[in-house]
Amino acid sequence: MKDRFTHYHPLVNFFYFSLVIGFTMVLNHPLSQGISLLCASIYGIQAEGKKAVLFCLKWCLPMVLLTAFINPAFNHEGLTILLYLPTGNPLTLESILYGISSGAMIATVMLWFLNFQRVITSDKFIYLFGRIIPSLSLVLSMTLRFIPKFRQQMELVVEARRSIGRDISEGSLLQRVGSAITVLSIMITWSLENAIDTADSMKSRGYGLKGRSAFSIYRFEDRDEIALAFLGFCGLFLSVGIVASAFGFRYFPDIRYMELNAVTLFFQFVYLILCALPIVLNAVEEKKWNYIHSKM
Amino acid sequence: MKKTLSILLILSIAVLACSCDGSFGGASLQEAIEIPADGIIEARILSQIRNENAIAVFMGTSEEISYEWTIFGSDIQEVKDVNLSVDIRERKGQEVIVQLSQEEAFGFSALLSVYLADKWEYQGATGYEADKPVLSVSLTGSKNSILNMSLDGTVSTIAIRGDELPQASSVVETESGREETPPSDIENDPYLSAAQEGDEHLYTNGKDKYLTDPVPEGKPKPVEPEHQEVNAQTSLSCTFSIECATILNQLDQLDSDKLDLVPSDGVIFPETTVTFYEGESVFDVLQRVCRENKIHMEASWTPIYNSAYVEGISNLYEFDCGSLSGWMYRVNGWYPNYGCSRYQLRDGDVVQWRYTCDLGKDIDGGYAIGG
Repeated sequence: MKDRFTHYHPLVNFFYFSLVIGFTMVLNHPLSQGISLLCASIYGIQAEGKKAVLFCLKWCLPMVLLTAFINPAFNHEGLTILLYLPTGNPLTLESILYGISSGAMIATVMLWFLNFQRVITSDKFIYLFGRIIPSLSLVLSMTLRFIPKFRQQMELVVEARRSIGRDISEGSLLQRVGSAITVLSIMITWSLENAIDTADSMKSRGYGLKGRSAFSIYRFEDRDEIALAFLGFCGLFLSVGIVASAFGFRYFPDIRYMELNAVTLFFQFVYLILCALPIVLNAVEEKKWNYIHSKM
Repeated sequence: MKKTLSILLILSIAVLACSCDGSFGGASLQEAIEIPADGIIEARILSQIRNENAIAVFMGTSEEISYEWTIFGSDIQEVKDVNLSVDIRERKGQEVIVQLSQEEAFGFSALLSVYLADKWEYQGATGYEADKPVLSVSLTGSKNSILNMSLDGTVSTIAIRGDELPQASSVVETESGREETPPSDIENDPYLSAAQEGDEHLYTNGKDKYLTDPVPEGKPKPVEPEHQEVNAQTSLSCTFSIECATILNQLDQLDSDKLDLVPSDGVIFPETTVTFYEGESVFDVLQRVCRENKIHMEASWTPIYNSAYVEGISNLYEFDCGSLSGWMYRVNGWYPNYGCSRYQLRDGDVVQWRYTCDLGKDIDGGYAIGG
């Protein structure tokens, strides 16, 4: 399925992600965390399919399990003592649940960033911030691009060296280490040179100079205005909810939370709408497309 | 159209926000209330405190001495008008007479804190009714002493006198023995510290290798946990208690999530005689007492002091009541200047774990922190 949300104006995309990632990091109510995690993974699966599922299993699940184990090993606060650890400190229910919660939060933020880097491509990023903070946005987009590029280049170098019989998996341990160091040194030289090349190239094109215009294919349409207004409203509404502690939930010293009534549930519902916005947009567009298609 | 819509939206947000009250239903601290001239607190106010599960502080003065009542809503069993005014007279720093105006039971127990004008040099205090000890009084306060006692109104006239040093029988023996025998004997006693330190303690800049200043003469020397020899055959006994009255003097500083955890009389574990095995340290006993009595306790091993550091007891942690707060221990009236894993207990010792909100100054232990 095509991701329609990417075709919205970059400002809408960026605003959406900053809101969602921000609220994901702030809200620790299990219901809101569940909403965010679910929406992030559904959106990822909707747009990327198998890759997102793999990402979940490979990174997010271990993350949750890891923090669920690590947190109670160092944090012993909480009223419900389950048993005593060999160190003599208590193992508490609250610290385990808090570990799961913070693990889920990190996993959710990772998933949102998976979506972020797909939607906000480096050209969108440069478009948004090229004028305001030219050097920083160039450095950022170069850095974000650097890791995949580095990997590709490294594969090339390793291939080339294999073809002349200097594979990193051949020879004695010492030879292999030497070979790996050579590859590393080649890569460092390449990346430094590449960075300078890019910077020089951008400079020669007058990047960041006053009065320089940049081509972009983005148009701010009516739907972007509506989307932006909607996001602004959600952001304001949820911020008020946080101030009024409608999402209130605490783990220590014992678990206490705002009881779920119509008001608090409504705040959660608004959060659900905010998180699910791209999923809904994609589904609606898909339906529309199918409808037009069937009439033809 | 757009304007009216946005105004409507903002209004709806405001209405929703107001319908959420920001509490989890736990205890909350109310602003301090001045006790009226006649001292009568109406039943209406008490029932409000009870219904809101609030903690209320009532302030009053008796001539020059000010006092505070701290009432926990969860303690209130019976609601009626009570007279909280108190007449307090101090007799030359020797004795404080507290005279309640209320002549019958309050229907709840409340903490009375009396702010004296000067500093009492006592380890603790006891309240007497007609020369019979009726309640124990906790002494806190940095510059001037605060007497904290839990009252329920059944005793209306209390004379408070400072306790003499709690003394462990074995220490008394050795100390009295010291006066009679030549000082070389103390040096032979591996337990007590003498003016000259033995060779086994490597002092640099006056400190030992675990950064401990010289132990005052006549006080027990630290026994390193790795040299600890527990003799499970010999059972000894000591008096053990855990209290946090200092928190009750400044509940406004306390992390509001922890208000529920503070006992209304400040006593987490009342003075109890506990048995231990010869050679065990204060920390060993604390750990066992907490475990047996289902009291939460967290400690971490600190290699540079070669001792466990008690971070929190009963979920009340260091820094929970201001940045200078934490747990300290006192044995026989002395706050040791080394960790609790290095303090080897002797038969009859009196161990107190106390919470401080001011680096020990409010519980007469400022010296143990060192400088």
